[in-house]
Amino acid sequence: MLGCVFATMLMVPLGIRVANAARGVKAPVSIYLPAYEASREREPFNPDPISDLARLQPGYVVIGDSMAGRIDASRLGQLSGRPVAPLLQAGSGSAYWYLALKNWVVASGIRPRAVFVFFRDTNLTDALFRLSPWSLDHVALEREDELNHVVAMRAGTAAHRLELAVEHVYQGELARQWAEPAVLQWPARVLIASRRQRLEFINGMNARFDLDHQRKSDTADVQISDEEGADFPRFVDRSVLPLMLREARAAGLTLCFVRVQRRPIGGRPPAQSPAMRRYIHELQTFVESHGALFHDDTGDPAMTIEMYEDGDHIAREFHARYTELLFARLRPLFQ
Amino acid sequence: MIFHSLDFLFFFVTTVAIYWRLPHRWQNVFLLGASYFFYGYVHPWFLILIASSTVVDYSAARAMEAWPTRRRRFLTLSIVSNFGMLGFFKYFNFFVDNVHAVLVTLGIDVSQPTLRIVLPVGISFYTFQAMSYTIDVYRGELRARRSLLDVAVFISFFPHLVAGPIQRASFLLPQVEATREFSFEKARTGFLLICWGLFKKLVIADNVGIIANKVFALADPSFWLVWSGVFAFAIQIYADFSAYTDIARGTSRWLGFELTENFDHPYLARSPADFWRRWNISLSTWFRDYVYIPLGGSRVPGWVWARNVLATFLLSGLWHGASWNYVLWGFYHGVLLIATRAGGTPRPQDRAVATWRTMASIAVMFLLTNIGWLLFRETSLDAIARDLTLSPLGGSALDRQTAAYLFILAFLYSVPLWVQSVWVEVHRARSGEPQPSVVTGSPWPALALQGAACGLALTAILVLRSRTALDFIYFQF
Repeated sequence: MLGCVFATMLMVPLGIRVANAARGVKAPVSIYLPAYEASREREPFNPDPISDLARLQPGYVVIGDSMAGRIDASRLGQLSGRPVAPLLQAGSGSAYWYLALKNWVVASGIRPRAVFVFFRDTNLTDALFRLSPWSLDHVALEREDELNHVVAMRAGTAAHRLELAVEHVYQGELARQWAEPAVLQWPARVLIASRRQRLEFINGMNARFDLDHQRKSDTADVQISDEEGADFPRFVDRSVLPLMLREARAAGLTLCFVRVQRRPIGGRPPAQSPAMRRYIHELQTFVESHGALFHDDTGDPAMTIEMYEDGDHIAREFHARYTELLFARLRPLFQ
Repeated sequence: MIFHSLDFLFFFVTTVAIYWRLPHRWQNVFLLGASYFFYGYVHPWFLILIASSTVVDYSAARAMEAWPTRRRRFLTLSIVSNFGMLGFFKYFNFFVDNVHAVLVTLGIDVSQPTLRIVLPVGISFYTFQAMSYTIDVYRGELRARRSLLDVAVFISFFPHLVAGPIQRASFLLPQVEATREFSFEKARTGFLLICWGLFKKLVIADNVGIIANKVFALADPSFWLVWSGVFAFAIQIYADFSAYTDIARGTSRWLGFELTENFDHPYLARSPADFWRRWNISLSTWFRDYVYIPLGGSRVPGWVWARNVLATFLLSGLWHGASWNYVLWGFYHGVLLIATRAGGTPRPQDRAVATWRTMASIAVMFLLTNIGWLLFRETSLDAIARDLTLSPLGGSALDRQTAAYLFILAFLYSVPLWVQSVWVEVHRARSGEPQPSVVTGSPWPALALQGAACGLALTAILVLRSRTALDFIYFQF
């Protein structure tokens, strides 16, 4: 009886393959991260930053997510007397930062005095943190074997193999490409007959929910303390950090890793566990032994709660002040 | 460890495979080990709390039987230790924040303590379950168990440990003590529950949850947008919580246990009292038996009864979380219950009129429930006040169109929930049976049908599951 239920259950989803075939959907070739996701159509690599960097010849490059948005590039340019090139992507992680360094900065052949990489806590050794293909696509080449290898080591192979096997049998991801938009567009079709007006409505709705319309919150983009990930020896070889250091060294670039201070609580920097303190110490020792620089904002008395807007973000009106602070703290690097 | 993870799949398959090869006593030892592994998987220190609660309640119950004249003291010990633990981990920050706010209002400037305490998952559920054991022993409705192992398994049984349903000792403990045998029938029905639960969680709850999260993140929502978000949240919380219960019941059946049902199609309730007979049944009956009835229940003068109802619902609201919006939510439901009892009208004789009235009652009750969900979901009293004073005529045309879009989308995802609820209700009205029988006559066509239903659920999970995985909502309580 149980076998009958199981067998029928496993047979029914094979209908997905039939539906895919009926719609003429073919599986695209695997993309640069087969260790992370099944095959899909990718967005093209964006080579524009390479020529932009080559043209600008910046003295300093800034890489990171919204945390790096605290740098006021024009103010830093004024203070240092050299142009500054921010390569920021909100919601990105270390995989993106590695690819931006390798495929844009190094590929452009520029020789900035320093490349700043802004991060929080364990970001640099967490290869899976914000591994969002939508943002990686425009910075990834056709093949990214080393990144794929790192991700495979970190993600574990058993779960991934199972997912690939399920996808191979049922083609569920392939079906998502047409089923998901069909479900999401159906209510719009019910409401609006005109295709053009429907598109305008979808765009307007997306704009209605963008960041400018969202509540300011203490918890917005406050990364949860990653105690489990605060194990440097365990994760460093399963991260992009060694790859970043190697790329920078080979290209003669100076990397400067800046750990941002998280949102203060009760007028003080957020408490750090002994494991996190140890992790940061080991991270600093590691990057400095590989010729890079390290700076930690945590505990800086000048970084007060007034500077924070929502979550770990610095308010726009304090970007210049933060930039001046960093300039003062790392003055030798700017001389 | 969460149900919809590969870690849990591996854990569960391994547990079942080993469990049924062991003799009964060792099954319980193994079950305790598995439950503790499940609970301490991410934070092993949580085990100290559950083990302490178990030892205290086991000892208190034993002591009540050994020294009957002092049994009140031992009950107090159990209640104080459980509520103390719950109060510290769940309500400490709430208490400190409110005391600080009051002092500041009075012009007394004191520095606020910055102790931030992690809430151990499931603590609200297992402390209540443990207390039901000692209270029942105190009342003489249950004998104290000699076996610490059995009591520990009863409190920590992993399928329902994190988010219920809260089981009574009189229901679950005898199952722990009894010899269990593997039943294909139980495994089959358990499997159906697991499939249905996973479908509800991954396809319905997580997809409509994104709508609710988007709307409640808006700084400037308009009337129709807010209510589209509330509708989505109503679907999300039901699909999410009932999914957890279904998976808990399904996995329990694979281990030879039966857990009580926790939901009975609550959005088809006709009145507030009916709603609370259908929603989170295990918690509402807990409060009924251990708070409401000891306060006097309904066999008291009207105003005392109203006080009892309000006290019970305020506590129920506070149980959900250390925040004023949960208290307000409990108060709102208490007031609804009092108001509707006072305004009851006789049932009409005409069948057609009765049917229309039933449908109208369901619609009105669903609207009232949604107002409650607004109080539950919003993050602050200011936001609640703002949402409740929005005008239906306000907002842009785009907002109204967006709200309509979100309503339809949330409804589209929830169609299977409504179909199931209506099917069960219609069947119940026609046959008088509480649940439709899933296998009748020759079993093979029915089995094939069930396999196909599971297959469709799997298909939907493969193709339509949300790309954003959300935690079970009741984990936070």
